[in-house]
Amino acid sequence: MSTPALVLVGFLLFCLGIFGVLARRNFIVVLLSIELIFAGAGLNFVAFSDLWQNLTGQVFTVFLIAVAAGEAAVGLGLLIALYRVKHTANVDEARELKG
Amino acid sequence: MTVFSILLAAVIVACALGVVFARSPITAAVSLLVGFLGLAVLYLALHAEFVAAVQVLVYAGGIMVLYLFGIMLVDNQVLRLTRQVHFQAWPAFVLVLALFLWMGHRLYHSEYAALPGGRPAATATADAESSESPSPAADNTRRIAKVLYGDFLYPFEAASILLLVAVVGGVFLAKKEV
Repeated sequence: MSTPALVLVGFLLFCLGIFGVLARRNFIVVLLSIELIFAGAGLNFVAFSDLWQNLTGQVFTVFLIAVAAGEAAVGLGLLIALYRVKHTANVDEARELKG
Repeated sequence: MTVFSILLAAVIVACALGVVFARSPITAAVSLLVGFLGLAVLYLALHAEFVAAVQVLVYAGGIMVLYLFGIMLVDNQVLRLTRQVHFQAWPAFVLVLALFLWMGHRLYHSEYAALPGGRPAATATADAESSESPSPAADNTRRIAKVLYGDFLYPFEAASILLLVAVVGGVFLAKKEV
């Protein structure tokens, strides 16, 4: 597959992730959509790393996976805190900074 | 090879659609898992063996299990019966479509559209030299290690601090009395 096609697939993953963040109400699905955004960015890094035969893109993908792991830990902590206070995972219920 | 990668890309995009449009969060998470495995195979095809292994181990093995635990702690019937899609879905769709078309337009008019997967001549010779090594996958890992612990040593340490802070923060947020 040529690099522009791969970049296009990365764009598609990125845009679907943004749509999921904006349009879904379930907090878990919002977190999963953020993972889709990360995946789109990572695919672009690896595609250009393959094009230019430069390993920096792959190293950045490793960093990106580390950042995604941290995001998952904090996001699930927030999810459980929200569920404890509001007994829901609907993002629209969380309107106040303090429960 | 090309047919295989196009099929793989189709599977990845279908799984991404499944994540965004699935009714049950479990379906979304499993769909994302399959998409990540497909992405790992695509990384293998792009000669990024180490990243593919990390993708399977950390994403498919670690993060997705964490998400499934989170779903099972939180999920209930009430959640599934509420309207899944927000009223702002249509404006969001228009916005995202505009973003995608703009990015595709920029890609189409960039220098990368001109070269159909072809590489510059200098890197092609470098590629031929590196192909003499016995195992390309091991070579990829060794070269990544040299870059990661050479040029990117300080970012690597910063990433470890970030992970530590994130895990402590996650525990602090999830604990009983904040």
